Amino acid sequence: MKLWIKIILGLAIIGIIAVLFGYFFVYNKPHTDYENAEAEYTLNAPELYNAFVEDKHGADSLYTGKVILIEAPLTKKETADSLVIAVIVFNEGMFGDEGIRCVMLPKFHETIMAYQTGDPIKIKGYCTGYNDTDVILEHCSIIH
Amino acid sequence: MKINKILIIALLMLASAAMGQKYVTKTGSIKFFSDAPMEKIEAYNNQVNAALDTETGDLVFKVLMKSFTFEKALMQEHFNENYVESDKFPNATFVGKITNAGEIGFQKGGTFDAQVEGKLTIHGVTRSVKELGSLTVSDGKILTTSVFPIKLSDYEIKIPKTVASNISESVEITVEVSLAILNQ
Repeated sequence: MKLWIKIILGLAIIGIIAVLFGYFFVYNKPHTDYENAEAEYTLNAPELYNAFVEDKHGADSLYTGKVILIEAPLTKKETADSLVIAVIVFNEGMFGDEGIRCVMLPKFHETIMAYQTGDPIKIKGYCTGYNDTDVILEHCSIIH
Repeated sequence: MKINKILIIALLMLASAAMGQKYVTKTGSIKFFSDAPMEKIEAYNNQVNAALDTETGDLVFKVLMKSFTFEKALMQEHFNENYVESDKFPNATFVGKITNAGEIGFQKGGTFDAQVEGKLTIHGVTRSVKELGSLTVSDGKILTTSVFPIKLSDYEIKIPKTVASNISESVEITVEVSLAILNQ
């Protein structure tokens, strides 16, 4: 086989590998596995909530977009369509109860429903921020 | 003393009647859909705060941008980091009113057209908007739906030329919220 054919074939193979790599590991890279992600911060629930209420911008830069583990007594559970939300309430406002809302991963729906009001709970989730009424944690799991 | 007490109670009752009934949700849903030549992109957010005062027609929505979920993690990253810059502008809000609230049978129930006007803020840019929606009043709940387009350039959301064929300049927003009466 001539040298130039070998070079073209080699380049073509490298190109195909690069495209496949880009497709599977960049374009189609999976979402973060929040259940197994390590928490960047571990806090008592009032500490997290008060941080946002007292200094929204400061708390945003610290906690929003991060995986956080909180500890608190559970106030209530809510269901809406396919969602199950664990709620820790601190205040009353124009939208009703205000506090931390933890949107549970489907795998933990049954587990959270077994908890009663006042039960101590450790929840890990991805903080999407504070909407002036609640701090939102999504993709939440229960830590035993 | 007794007269003063009666007066205060009467004033409180009047104030409460004037406020109307407030309906709220914290699990409203917003979807956006971009139909570009190269690909279709959808994202969902089902942590939308919404409140409606049936007496005044006042309507408020509040959305955390980081709560939008995309099928592909890479799209979600680009959306937050490059397009809506959610670290800098974490919320989108709508503050406005249903201008024909008086024509809507909040007491008797049914499905009604709603004319909505107000200020929509996305990416730190506030614009006046006027859209049509639909309200279904049933079993003590109000289901609100609206589908409308927004132009990304109106909100100073810049799409790099290299991905211009992947993202439509105008995206379709679908709002669907089921509001329940606020018990205070």
